[in-house]
Amino acid sequence: MNNSTLTHGIDIAQLGRGEATLCLDDEHLCIVVKNLNLYYGDKQALKDVNMGIPSRRVTAYIGPSGCGKSTLLRCFNRMNDLTDDVHIDGEILLDGNDIHRPSVNVADLRRRVGMVFQKPNPFPKSVYENVAYGLRLQGINSRRVLDEVVEKSLKGAALWDEVKDRLYDNALGLSGGQQQRLVIARAIAIEPEVLLLDEPASALDPISTLKIEELINELKTEYTIVIVTHNMQQAARVSDYTAFMYLGELIEFGDTSSLFTNPAKKQTEDYITGRYG
Amino acid sequence: MKHWWNSGEPWIWLTAASVTVSILAVVSLLLLIIWQGLGHFWPASVMEAEYQDHDGKITVLGEVRGEEVVPASRLQEMGIVVKGDLVTRYLLKTGNREILGMDFRWVLAENLQQQRYPKEVIVIERREWGNFYGYLQAVKEEGKVVSEGPEAWVELQTRLDRTLTLYEEIRNISKYDIGKVNHGLEQLRLVQRRLELNNDTDPAKQQQLADERVVLQARFEELNQQLANLYQAVNRDSFSAKVMDGRVVDISLANVVKVYRPNSLSGPEKLGFYVMKFWEFVSDEPREANTEGGIFPAIFGTVIMVLIMSVMVTPFGVIAAVYLHEYAKQNFLTRTIRVAVNNLAGIPSIVYGVFGLGFFVYFIGAKIDLWFFPEALPAPTFGTPGLLWASITLALLTLPVVIVSTEEGLARIPKSIREGSLALGATKAETLWRTVIPMASPAIMTGLILAIARAAGEVAPLMLVGVVKLAPALAIDNNTPFLHLDRKFMHLGFHIYDVGFQSPNVEAGRPLVYATAFLLVTVIVVLNLAAIWIRNQLREKYKALETA
Amino acid sequence: MNEEEFTQHHISQQFNLELRELRNQVLSMGGLVEEQLSNALIALTNNDQQLAKRVYANDYKINALEVAIDEESTRILARRQPTASDLRLVMAVIKTIPDLERIGDQAERIAHMALQMPNETQAKHFVTINHLGEKVRQMLHDALDAFARLDVEVALQVMREDHKIDHESDSIYRQLITYMMEDPRAIPIALNIMWSARALERIAAHSCNICEYLIYFVKGKDVRHISLEQVEKQARQPR
Repeated sequence: MNNSTLTHGIDIAQLGRGEATLCLDDEHLCIVVKNLNLYYGDKQALKDVNMGIPSRRVTAYIGPSGCGKSTLLRCFNRMNDLTDDVHIDGEILLDGNDIHRPSVNVADLRRRVGMVFQKPNPFPKSVYENVAYGLRLQGINSRRVLDEVVEKSLKGAALWDEVKDRLYDNALGLSGGQQQRLVIARAIAIEPEVLLLDEPASALDPISTLKIEELINELKTEYTIVIVTHNMQQAARVSDYTAFMYLGELIEFGDTSSLFTNPAKKQTEDYITGRYG
Repeated sequence: MKHWWNSGEPWIWLTAASVTVSILAVVSLLLLIIWQGLGHFWPASVMEAEYQDHDGKITVLGEVRGEEVVPASRLQEMGIVVKGDLVTRYLLKTGNREILGMDFRWVLAENLQQQRYPKEVIVIERREWGNFYGYLQAVKEEGKVVSEGPEAWVELQTRLDRTLTLYEEIRNISKYDIGKVNHGLEQLRLVQRRLELNNDTDPAKQQQLADERVVLQARFEELNQQLANLYQAVNRDSFSAKVMDGRVVDISLANVVKVYRPNSLSGPEKLGFYVMKFWEFVSDEPREANTEGGIFPAIFGTVIMVLIMSVMVTPFGVIAAVYLHEYAKQNFLTRTIRVAVNNLAGIPSIVYGVFGLGFFVYFIGAKIDLWFFPEALPAPTFGTPGLLWASITLALLTLPVVIVSTEEGLARIPKSIREGSLALGATKAETLWRTVIPMASPAIMTGLILAIARAAGEVAPLMLVGVVKLAPALAIDNNTPFLHLDRKFMHLGFHIYDVGFQSPNVEAGRPLVYATAFLLVTVIVVLNLAAIWIRNQLREKYKALETA
Repeated sequence: MNEEEFTQHHISQQFNLELRELRNQVLSMGGLVEEQLSNALIALTNNDQQLAKRVYANDYKINALEVAIDEESTRILARRQPTASDLRLVMAVIKTIPDLERIGDQAERIAHMALQMPNETQAKHFVTINHLGEKVRQMLHDALDAFARLDVEVALQVMREDHKIDHESDSIYRQLITYMMEDPRAIPIALNIMWSARALERIAAHSCNICEYLIYFVKGKDVRHISLEQVEKQARQPR
């Protein structure tokens, strides 16, 4: 590289103007949603959603309550199958394969697409057993393997130092923030490709929230992370890309910095600046 | 006043009063049962007195067991001349049924004179004819007097100890050893019958059976001989005693369970005697048409029946509830089923008894006999009321309770926990098995507690499907298969009914009714406490529900 | 987008008020700066020492406003965490304030020159500077007007004007150099006028900056340090 363009280690030639440093077109897409419509009975909850979720990035969904962002998130690991009277058409491709094909085993899919819920939901078992749960489901019971994975996952979730002395205590004794990180550790123990976070910090205090956000930042080097949040500042802080949804429609999807400084759509602008339509 | 009314305080008083009434009712019920039932075992003093009867003066000897004030007119109707309007009369337990013709008699208080409590009075509990009250005269061996006067008491006790030891031996042999031999012989008979039914005439097998039978017969003869010897030894000793009307009678020691002198017992001795009597009541078998001895078989029968019922109703109820709540689509059909299950709980229990008798005993039981125990026919094995059918009938009776409370438990488990498990790649079955059902276990235990409470106190259906007044053997013994589900059994609730209403000796039975009721309550409380303890352990373990 | 929309329709009425207040403060600061400039120019051309002193004395007001608006902006950033147009408004305000303050300083400098002018200065010296001053004052006025009405077209016009100002001040310099060569006694006066022209040129540049911030605020496009054609292309793009 030409020395003249380097000043104090900053490559001035690379500094952009107006253009985002992240660009959707350059990303490798992990999940592709095509013409997705979802109905609860007669009510249409998602209207013709088209988008691609880039690999190893944090994609955030924002939007008012009932806009369909959680519903869309739950489509990615087919959690909506559990709800009666749901009808879906359109395609969701995970690494190019439609997850709704009959040959897809839902349990396998959910192993590949992990999910963390709004309220920490550890099982009433020990910390260790919580993390080992997914592995035991796969029939892995070797003590040595489990020990290793539990430690690795808890370290991955930045919880190891806090719980290493009480691995065999009931997980319900942990604080809310610790429980949520435990649930994340439980999810990453089975090494999914995608991690879906459904308002993961909404039940936590600000410090725990920051810890979770920090964790998300660390996890994105290995996982594709999709997060739904009510907290716009949180979306702004943690995500690379942000999608704004309103009344079941995907209004705007783009890199987070642009979306929060200069949204293209008035609906987005109104929502993120706190105006009524 | 108006202010007080508006303050809402009257409601507090009203609600508190209703709670108080309930508590009082329960407490007084328990106190009555405890007082009436447990007082029975206290060694009451024996009173001797001169009694002016309508046909002369006699001496009476006995325990005062009751006292009541009756209007004189009532007695006059019975032909008894009394003075005044109200008369006090005592219920005297005089015992000596074979001599006096009755155990109990009413005496008018005003006609009693010279009441006294002689220290030498002895009370004898006998295997037959109830209690004996009188004065010891002499101890005899082979009909010859060996001891007389004051020493006779000491001699009597040492000889009684010997007799009781021998008697215990007799009991062991006749109950266990001969029982085993008889069981073996019966099995051989059944094996032979089975061979006949199968047209199997293999002489080798027949020979083997014959050989085994010879061995058992020899053993039987041997045991019989032992028994004969023991009976002779037991009958060696006897004693003579004077009854209240002056007659002297001879009593064989073989007939004696216990001898004591209540009037000379000190306080602590009475207490010791009381504890012993109570223990005997709890641990012994009944005698004399259930009016004497203990009620151990009834306690045992009740507990084993409840346990078998629990083992059956829990898995069945839980599985049904899991299907209804987790798998079945919630529609008109499932709602109907749920209503039907709830109504099932309201059906009178005797109806279950009829159903159990008709369906389980006469239909399923008869079929089982036909297919699996043809060799025993025409004597039924399962085609007759028994422990298994009683347990199943009660399991059916308590099934709604378990289903309803399990369903409630399942409904209380937060959706997030299920989703958490599913999101980790668990199937629905894995989620249920690993997470949901363990978390619902406290609710399942609650259902079981309610089921136990209901089943243990149920009598009516049991009379149709397996309970008897006096079971020849316990449901568990040391003959294979150890647990005999086909046997009839005794039950505390039925025991109460039997002693209270079917007994030939009403006065003797009454305290036993209370004591048995007390034990029934105790058994239920113990079973419940055990279940509650288990439930609390589980709750502690799965306390997520409380915080969720 | 009209000017009202930026400070209305927030669910939080308080936020509406705060943003409106912030904008009003900027506009009143702009008004003050504009008044300072025109007073300074009058003082310079009419040799009005009194007026020049007043300009001198009033500069503290501008400084005080700058500090106050800065504080208000910081407060809004901390408490409201504005996004999108709200964020751009606050950012534009934060950047506009120093420019206005500098314009104030330049006006003060012109007043300073006016004080140093000898009484017998010939009117010919003031003709050109007068013309330039009038133009720059108009530019500043238009820039502030654009800011008040969120009018991108006016802002673009101001930016185009800036080039003309540069040309005009160049010719003033050349003219003054001619004077100085003709008559060395005129050098102090010529230098004073030259400094004033220089200050006016700076004011025009600051006005231009304000217009750039306005375009950023309204269009979300950063138009600094690019050619005027590009600026126009960017600013006229539909959003």
